[in-house]
Amino acid sequence: MRGFRGLFWGIAGLVLCQALAGCATTPPSAEALANNDPYEQTNRDTLKLNGKIDKYFVIPTVGVYFLLVPEPGRRGVHNFLGNVSLPTIFVNDMLQGEVSRAGNSMWRLVINSTLGLGGFLDPASKMGIPGHGEDFGQTLAVWGVDEGPYLILPFLGPSNPRDATGLAVDVAMDPTNQIHFKQHIWWDGGRIYFTLLDLRGQTYQTIQGIQRSSVDYYSSLRSLYRQMRAQEIRNGRAPGRDLPDF
Amino acid sequence: MRLSKPLMRRTFLMAAAVSPLLMAAPALAVPNVAESFVDENIHKGLDILKDKRLDSVQRRDQFEGLLLSLVDVRRIALFTLGQYRRSASPDDVEAFVAAFKNYATAEYQSYFSKYTNQTLKVMGSTEVKPTDFIVQTQLMDSSSNQPPAEVDFRVRTDTGKPVLVDVAYQGIWLSLEQRDQFVSFLGQNNGNLRSLVAHLSDLAVNMGKPTQ
Repeated sequence: MRGFRGLFWGIAGLVLCQALAGCATTPPSAEALANNDPYEQTNRDTLKLNGKIDKYFVIPTVGVYFLLVPEPGRRGVHNFLGNVSLPTIFVNDMLQGEVSRAGNSMWRLVINSTLGLGGFLDPASKMGIPGHGEDFGQTLAVWGVDEGPYLILPFLGPSNPRDATGLAVDVAMDPTNQIHFKQHIWWDGGRIYFTLLDLRGQTYQTIQGIQRSSVDYYSSLRSLYRQMRAQEIRNGRAPGRDLPDF
Repeated sequence: MRLSKPLMRRTFLMAAAVSPLLMAAPALAVPNVAESFVDENIHKGLDILKDKRLDSVQRRDQFEGLLLSLVDVRRIALFTLGQYRRSASPDDVEAFVAAFKNYATAEYQSYFSKYTNQTLKVMGSTEVKPTDFIVQTQLMDSSSNQPPAEVDFRVRTDTGKPVLVDVAYQGIWLSLEQRDQFVSFLGQNNGNLRSLVAHLSDLAVNMGKPTQ
């Protein structure tokens, strides 16, 4: 619990530092304000920093992970991490009034934790109970909270005040943090480490493709993040009326 | 020969009864035109990309030929310029459209070449307005446990024939993302369209090279 309380305040601190650093730089351009990105220069600098961390630490670590752990093992890790997140997903489903999706989350937790050998297997998907993601940032959006300005957080990447707050709340309310023996640093550290490896491994080719084809990787990432979050909040496809005319 | 009044009345009533069906038929048929357009042509594109008999130059040329016949490249290019379209000179705009054509071809080929082992299934369509449709499809990989990917195609029919103006993968629209980054680039470069043209030309060449 102590470890994750620290993470909660850490995330809040990152957001505050990013905002203060943004205030210390030159005033935002008209373009930046039009994009709801008043801290654009600071965000660009942070993205460069994150890129260096990615290049010199994360990618080599992911490379070793792929070498040492075969694909079935990596899939097991992915399934386990997804299973451990299900209580948080269930709570957010309920907070959004998505009772049917909450039911899916609950059944997935029960089935995958038992028949799925603690979550390493995913029999629930084969039974036609698909997985989905939810987080408190999406819950806040459903409740009508505006996203706020675009932010690039150190280590964590694209975000905004609403989603960063949501992440911190999800971390704080994760039930695995309430169980005493899991306060052990190996559980906290291990989960974060393998979540990073899993996420980066899954997105490596996609991000490489974006970097290779972008005129401006920063604004490409900003657009992709916002569209992706809007899709997640809607739980599905955009209605045609929301699309611009050609 | 003139018709009698009762026959004229009957003929008029029959025509009045039938005409709504005739008027309705084209409106009912148009969404299927968009769906058929996507179904037939995306499969053609995937077939070209996975045809092992073609070398890389032949594959690129055939894919480019098909793509340019389906996609309204000029319309997309002008859309991606955003507000900078108004201030750009006609010559610069034409140079940009030409560069965008090469860039978009390379990007689409790079994008779809990842899915050559998958099958595409048209699930239905939504009418945004009478000449603007979104065709919903799923890309399925039967060899994988991954759920199918949702890919949407935006089709316009206002020029008389269906053309593709955008594609979305899992809810992310490509032209929207291109517009956001081009407008940002131009904002950072004082609206210098020639700089963007040069950049796009370099990217088109680089995307055509094999990845490391």
